[in-house]
Amino acid sequence: MIFGVRHSVAVAAALGTLAAVIIAVLTWKGAPVTSETFLVTTYIGLFLGALWAMYATGLVVVYTTTGVFNFAQGAIGVFAAFLYWELHVNRDWHSILALFVVVGLFAPALGVVLDILIMRRLRTASLVVQLMVTVAIMVLLLSVVGDIWEADTPRRVPYLFGINNGIDLGPSQLPWHRLIVFVVAIAIAVSMRFLLRRTRIGTAMRAVVDNRELAALNGARPNVVSSTSWALGSMMGALGGILIAPELGLDPATLNNVVIIAFAAAAFGALRNLPLAVVGAMLIGLLRAHTGAWLDFGPDFRFAHLSIAPLLLLFVVIALPQARLEVGRLAHHLRRHERYTKWWEGLLGCGVVILLAAAFSGGWLDFGGWDPGAWGSRELNSANEAMALALIGLSLVPLIGWAGQINFAPLAFAGFGAFVYLKLAGDTGNGYWILMVGLLCAPLGAIVALPAARLRGLYLALMTMAFAQAMSLIFFPHPWVMPIIGTGRQFPHIDLFGITFDDRRGFFMLMVSVFAIFVYALVLLRRSRYGRRWMAINDSQAAAATLGVPVVWTKVVVYAVSASMAGIAGVFWATVSGNVDSVQGFDLLLGFNIVLLVAAAGVSIPMAGIFLIFIPLFKGFGLRLEDAGNVDFLVTLLDIMTTYGPGLMVLGMVFNPRGAIFEMGRGFSPILPWRSDARAEIAAENAQKREPEIGELGLERPFTPEEVIAIDRRLEILDDVVPKEGYGTSRS
Amino acid sequence: MKHLRWTIGLLAIFALVAVSCGGNDDSGGSAPAAAPTEAPDDSMDESGGTADDMDDSMGDDSMDDSMGDDMDDSMGDDSMDDSMGDDMGDDSMDDEMDDSMDDEMDESDAEPVATEEPEVDPCEAVDLEATDIGITSDTITVLVMADVGSPLAPGLFQGSIDGVKAWANQVNSEGGLACRQIEVLEHDSAINPTETTNGFLVACEEAFALVGTTALFALDTTDLQSCADAQGNEIGVPDFAYITTEPPHQCSVVTFATSRPNSECPYAGTGDRAVQSQVGHVQYLLENVSSELNGVYLIPSDLPSTIATSMPQVRAFQEIGVVIDGEPGISGFTTQSEYGAFIQIMRDNTSNFAYSGSDDQSMIKWRSEAEAQGLDADSVIWMCQLACYTPSFLEAGDVIENTYIWIWFLPFDEADTNQELADFMEAIDDPFPPAWAAGSWADGVLFEQVVNEIVAESGPNALTRQAVLDGARNLTSFDVNGWWSPADYSTTENIMPCFMLMQVQNNEFVRVHPAERGELDCNPDNVVGLTRDWGAEFGG
Repeated sequence: MIFGVRHSVAVAAALGTLAAVIIAVLTWKGAPVTSETFLVTTYIGLFLGALWAMYATGLVVVYTTTGVFNFAQGAIGVFAAFLYWELHVNRDWHSILALFVVVGLFAPALGVVLDILIMRRLRTASLVVQLMVTVAIMVLLLSVVGDIWEADTPRRVPYLFGINNGIDLGPSQLPWHRLIVFVVAIAIAVSMRFLLRRTRIGTAMRAVVDNRELAALNGARPNVVSSTSWALGSMMGALGGILIAPELGLDPATLNNVVIIAFAAAAFGALRNLPLAVVGAMLIGLLRAHTGAWLDFGPDFRFAHLSIAPLLLLFVVIALPQARLEVGRLAHHLRRHERYTKWWEGLLGCGVVILLAAAFSGGWLDFGGWDPGAWGSRELNSANEAMALALIGLSLVPLIGWAGQINFAPLAFAGFGAFVYLKLAGDTGNGYWILMVGLLCAPLGAIVALPAARLRGLYLALMTMAFAQAMSLIFFPHPWVMPIIGTGRQFPHIDLFGITFDDRRGFFMLMVSVFAIFVYALVLLRRSRYGRRWMAINDSQAAAATLGVPVVWTKVVVYAVSASMAGIAGVFWATVSGNVDSVQGFDLLLGFNIVLLVAAAGVSIPMAGIFLIFIPLFKGFGLRLEDAGNVDFLVTLLDIMTTYGPGLMVLGMVFNPRGAIFEMGRGFSPILPWRSDARAEIAAENAQKREPEIGELGLERPFTPEEVIAIDRRLEILDDVVPKEGYGTSRS
Repeated sequence: MKHLRWTIGLLAIFALVAVSCGGNDDSGGSAPAAAPTEAPDDSMDESGGTADDMDDSMGDDSMDDSMGDDMDDSMGDDSMDDSMGDDMGDDSMDDEMDDSMDDEMDESDAEPVATEEPEVDPCEAVDLEATDIGITSDTITVLVMADVGSPLAPGLFQGSIDGVKAWANQVNSEGGLACRQIEVLEHDSAINPTETTNGFLVACEEAFALVGTTALFALDTTDLQSCADAQGNEIGVPDFAYITTEPPHQCSVVTFATSRPNSECPYAGTGDRAVQSQVGHVQYLLENVSSELNGVYLIPSDLPSTIATSMPQVRAFQEIGVVIDGEPGISGFTTQSEYGAFIQIMRDNTSNFAYSGSDDQSMIKWRSEAEAQGLDADSVIWMCQLACYTPSFLEAGDVIENTYIWIWFLPFDEADTNQELADFMEAIDDPFPPAWAAGSWADGVLFEQVVNEIVAESGPNALTRQAVLDGARNLTSFDVNGWWSPADYSTTENIMPCFMLMQVQNNEFVRVHPAERGELDCNPDNVVGLTRDWGAEFGG
């Protein structure tokens, strides 16, 4: 400890400060620093910090009291800001009335509805499901905003307290609005701190998240408490959105992205410490304001000042103490439900996929009367895009699905792969360099894995998100990385085995084949001892370490494998586009969507990646219907499905946490002749459904033998039922 | 055993791949990119001769003068902002060009060529044929592609679709084009490169031409340029676009943008590039408002393309004597309070000039922050481009009072001075339509003029994609029948020289220069051409 601070934190802070000083010296703009300019820049920074502190406070309150990190906090703010605009500007309501309706009525109601309909069901869900569902809520809210308030008209929200009068600061002035916002943000943080620490409801809120049942036995009402938490968090998101909107303008994407800054601030407070979260927000605000005033990053790093928040997030998360072992959750993981696919089953499945893809793209089969032979270039083009995304999605299976290492940066790895390929292959299109891309991307994955090795769960998610954002703001926009060329293709058609894959059908089949190879490799890997190690560290790192599994090394390897796959997929992704705008092409939000869809499909299933191909199929089908005419309602339906479908499917994880492909597989497998185990499992499940309810837990009367067996089954300690002979008839 | 599994698996997969890849591709996009790049050189070589023919036919010397266009396109808070321009080469510059276009010239331009020789109705003289893809004996199918359906920015360029539909309705109501009715297909490019490519593919297969293209991410135009016509020749699809933000689209040999790229093509993507810029509006300020201007130019820096199109204008301003105190980059994520840093630059340098290369919302933030910081706004000349010519800019109220805005076409409230503008305003049925609606309408008129020339010369059955491409490539002067500044479509480098200057006064756009309604200032000195590595020019 140095002055009461842990060594690692002190060293990290020292290194960070040194790096900041070096950057400042190298990029000093040379503008004169006067007391006035310093003062003005400082108050601007504090004001920005106050805005972000409001979002961060909401995040911390919800996380502290529900255990759920709400990725939708920014989207709630967006919705509230648009609603406020609708009432105050469009319908001419008084600002105070509109503010009361939105923040005082709508926002808490939204929070309570979200809690009742969705969040309560996530209580025992895995972190992946929890995060994905809040991301899905974010996507859905933004889609609703887009549908209600079309973006073709720019909108402005007026400042709540006026901007033109304030305290005289010499040549400049401090507007009252900014002063009031600053005071309000601090007051909210202080009052929330007081609420959580000094009041009975606050204590109950924190108790409920630690142990719901125990808190209930002590008189707390868990459902009321969690609804209150969500209502409070939602109100702070709404207020933040309304106060930030005049600063940024009413644009859903821009307003929503602000939440990443709030994530960094919340992480600064270790997600639970409100004062530190506010300090973090102020620090980011001050850094941004002073960076903008004094430093000049040039054309090569033009987004550098925007990357302060993700870099701080990265820095803070890495400097955080090692995550606790989640021993309390082990019981959920002790019994794995997945069956290991046999090697020949994997081979058969891959062959079927290739044949179906060939039939579909070649128009060899009639799919339900819809002539796939009518597939034109646009459908193949969309299918190629989806197939490339599926390949990127597949890279998440070993990492998230098996090793439990959450990763929001698949596109960062993919983009790095595309970059490496561009530099290696140039304009030759030499496909053999793709193998080298796989090798060179692995070290990047390993580098990311090193801090990840000591992180878990949410911190890991935040770290990968910060990494992806930093890559998209610093690395990809650099003009040397992927300059757009004026003529021809930046990424030429791939030349492999003497074949130039310059037609879409051939390229589609090449990608399907690579997909099949990856899937088959994963199937074999999963059956191997090494693959089981990955799943072991997901189930219990402590147990895995006890059994001799080198946890850190295993994580490094799985990250390297995933990065390698994503890098190769990135080459295909870039080649589909021909020319890639590296700023837009590897955007964090697109990466979110890939993770979202793969999770909805079932991130532990290799075939989940193929799920992404359904999107262009839906769209293509919609276009065909449109061409056919007189089916407006179907077109509208498909349009709605395309817009809201992915989000809704992810919400479905609340009920089917293992994903759609997993459930489909469970439904399909009993019809396969060799899957007697699947038929037995279904029979056992059906038998269980016929069981009597366990009832009053034996408090009023003794358990019957059937109930004892039922309890054993619920507790999953009855592994050895022989189902084919009927439930309960034979046990060893 | 394990090795055997891997080997069997790999062999089986490769065998299936080999079987599966045997089919033919139905896409038309596989042609090498090099082929189409040769076409513009040919067409440009020919343009000198045909320009003279065009001048004769159009009957006005001033029409073959340099033309320009500089547009600023903004995409909401992403601060999407592009300036594009085009200016004819020196060869076609007419030194005797008037400072402003006169009404007579407008009227003569307003007459489509086909209407000049209507004695024999060509439609009755021939049996109409399906002469190319997208053409039947009854219809000409055009496709309008615009970024509309992005979940985060729905309806972004819906105005483009509305503009093309309005134009098509207008033409159809007057008897059609080339003796046929126009059918409009729509494609939503959704701010997505893949969907944009899909739009090119749909056009290739189903439409005769693209009209009114307003897609921000046309990154790969290979399919557009190599699409086969009905005879199987890979000549490309004529693309009458409104904006071309990315170099591959700007340099596409089949694309003719009414918002001219004003940049040299072909372009390698990096290094020096010749670009022309419009400076007439600032020249006017120097001559009539303040003989010394020093100030700040805000560069929209979210995309390389927006930097590359703003920096030439900054340097062009410097060329005519403006002192640039700062050229900071702004992003859609820049908060209003962060504009305080730009106010500080102005204060430190006693700036009297403030120019935003970004959108109306950016200018509102800038001016609002200036007011919040107590800057004497009256001591500064605030200026913005077409992106500020919007109703939402006026909605900001007093804070944007006195802001100058320059555009390159007659404003919407001067419909009484130009028949084409009057037709547009009537058809679009919106008192203040978006600029992209006007641009797409202009694309329609451009397409119409090229087709009418073909029909007038060779009859309605001569209408093919090749004929349209040839006609457009040889078009050295087009001014949307006097509504817009004239433009030269035989090269991408030249900018339109004409502009008009407005100022926000009492919450209205008020014409400042030229003073006469219906006029544009077309002085050849309005144009400055420079060659630099524009990406490297940006300081950040």
